[in-house]
Amino acid sequence: MRCLSLANTNSQSVDRGLSFIAWLGVLLILGLPLLGLIPIFMVGLQAKAWQLLWSDPQFLPALKLTLFSAGISTLWSLILACALVFLFYPSKTWQRLQQQLPIFLAIPHAAFAIGLVFLLAPSGWLVRLVSPLFAWTAPPTWLTTTQDPYALSLSLALTLKETWFLLWVMTGLISQEWLVKQSLIAKSLGYSAWQAGWQILFPQVLKSLAWPLLAVFAYGLSVVDMALILGPSTPPSLAVLAWQWFADPDPIQQLKAQVLALVLVGLLVLGAGGAYLAYKFLTALWSKPSGRRQRTSVIRFLSPWFSYLLTLPFWLSLGLLLLWSLADSWFFPQIVPSRLGFATWQQAELEPLLMTLWIATCSVLISLPLALLWLEWGKQRQAYLYLPLIIPALPFTAAQYQLALLLKLEGSLSAVIWSHLAWVLPYILLVLTGAYQRLDTRYLLTAKTLGYNTWQACLYIKWPLLLRPIMAAAAVGFAVSVAQYLPTAFIGGGRIETVTTEAVSLSSGGNRATLAVQAVLQALLPLFAFMTATSLSRWYARQHPGLN
Amino acid sequence: MLHVQKLSLYQAQQALIQNLSFQVAAGEVLSVMGASGVGKSTLLTWMIGALSSAFTATGQCFLNQRRVDELPTEQRQIGILFQDDLLFPHLTVGGNLAFALPAHIKGSARQQQIDTALEQAGLAGFAKRDPSSLSGGQRARVSVLRALLAEPQALLLDEPFSRLDTALRQQFRSFVFAQIAHLQIPAVLVTHDLADVPSDGRIIQL
Repeated sequence: MRCLSLANTNSQSVDRGLSFIAWLGVLLILGLPLLGLIPIFMVGLQAKAWQLLWSDPQFLPALKLTLFSAGISTLWSLILACALVFLFYPSKTWQRLQQQLPIFLAIPHAAFAIGLVFLLAPSGWLVRLVSPLFAWTAPPTWLTTTQDPYALSLSLALTLKETWFLLWVMTGLISQEWLVKQSLIAKSLGYSAWQAGWQILFPQVLKSLAWPLLAVFAYGLSVVDMALILGPSTPPSLAVLAWQWFADPDPIQQLKAQVLALVLVGLLVLGAGGAYLAYKFLTALWSKPSGRRQRTSVIRFLSPWFSYLLTLPFWLSLGLLLLWSLADSWFFPQIVPSRLGFATWQQAELEPLLMTLWIATCSVLISLPLALLWLEWGKQRQAYLYLPLIIPALPFTAAQYQLALLLKLEGSLSAVIWSHLAWVLPYILLVLTGAYQRLDTRYLLTAKTLGYNTWQACLYIKWPLLLRPIMAAAAVGFAVSVAQYLPTAFIGGGRIETVTTEAVSLSSGGNRATLAVQAVLQALLPLFAFMTATSLSRWYARQHPGLN
Repeated sequence: MLHVQKLSLYQAQQALIQNLSFQVAAGEVLSVMGASGVGKSTLLTWMIGALSSAFTATGQCFLNQRRVDELPTEQRQIGILFQDDLLFPHLTVGGNLAFALPAHIKGSARQQQIDTALEQAGLAGFAKRDPSSLSGGQRARVSVLRALLAEPQALLLDEPFSRLDTALRQQFRSFVFAQIAHLQIPAVLVTHDLADVPSDGRIIQL
């Protein structure tokens, strides 16, 4: 009893202390880099910097390339994700897709891109498959199916990967009862599921998709790892160009890199504006329905193939990664390796793996408690916490680098972990917020009426109740950290090597088997995290059957 | 004429409805009553072709001698009204109605037909309004108009009156029944409330 009353007298100061920690953490992780953006914006005021950029012969072609690949992949992933929902929800195919979704989401972009190279490259599996038809004994040199000058393979990879991200977002939206009923109403009025989807559901979910779409576009604008693996090199995409210039100690190149980072932000704003205009145009178009009902025989006929078209590249890529990592010798045009073995695995460098594990674990161990503190003692709805997911990664990382430089921490492990937190924390918050808001507030209130302060009520009641979403968030945070290329390479200054940086640097030539091993490790780490979280969740649910 | 023949509905091997057969004549409103959970709404979702995968069904449904239970929802020509009006929030009142109107009505005739329908429902001049600016009773009437403008051959009513207060309820009921009588289509009404059943209407107790 004495203990309880003591806790009560202290409860206000405890609350204040925890609130302080939450705010301090968020400021250090997100506030500082945002401040660090200011000097980069100042560079934008120098006319000379713009002149330098403009006169660079690589700038304009790279700009076109980047706008094309980011724009087309955003548009297509939206169309494909919607098509999947409209064609298959809530059929058996849909349930199958839902089972595969976590795996596709967990595979890091870099590992997927490397798998696609093994699949699509002139020496890749698809060409090997058709080579008997043309009697090819060597990879056709005229073929540029990867690193093509138009960035088509990069766009394809982005499209496929982001489709699953948008599908994940839409899964949350579409399961709402009223949307299902509206679709039924439209069908009872004579429209096919396909038409009901585009004319009734699409206009309504589009608003909720605005931010995720912006994140997809921003990712496409500033992706570096995938672009290094699949994108063209002369010229490369804008983000790669900026990344190369940042790596150059020449102050002129540095200046160009900083303006280029600004250009990426400008493109994002431009893209958002364009999307808004397109939205207005579509709304006007939708406002006067013509009443035309379409027959859907073609779509019905195509649809079973359609879902495979989107899942197959992932399974083939994963399979090829695994096969290559086990291939002792595998020459063109063999479809399977002539000899399998563990030689490459035995010689594999494992330091990057340990480093990745270490960084990801630290990132989660810092972000997760901080996210929980923030949700309780910070402010729950704060859009700016998600800024790192929406502004292009390049300027943000550049700002982080400037700060690390200032504190003489560049190339240090702690600085790399800190840089990862800027993405790990928002993603953990994103996953937790929904579950946090859905939890019945009366649990916490009941605990308080029993005499516990907020901290105790959270520790003993709220967080144990939320253990499953907390574990899911931890797994997502881990996966996000594993997949980070740019901050690791940038802040780490080449001295911190993770499976991701290793896989990307090995992808430019060198031994395919060695590359495959690192890519497999990169893909396995997040999968391992998700599997652990799922099995722990199941175990916990069995212990507490009343928990839902 | 709407004809359900030997319908049995199962949920996980357990029969909800067994061997149910009934006919509804053109212009007639057949009421289906019973305690909640007995399968009243499930019956309607089967008739419209939206039975969830948790259920299985055997039996047949004919609409004007055409077998419809194997057709997809959009080809059955059966309209449905739910408890909620479910007006599409991204369209205006007129847009909602235009969505329902068949495509063979073209040009200015579309707007004219929408205006006439609104006028008959006591909602003249509402075409440009946003659904959210309407009262519950007004929204309910628009949802009826929407279902009927699609020229359905039958109408299903899933407790459409239960959300309205008593005064509105009476008014809305007679509006719906008048529309059904006018169009001469069969209708099936699912309800808890005996007061919803039209005078001298037939009742099936589940």
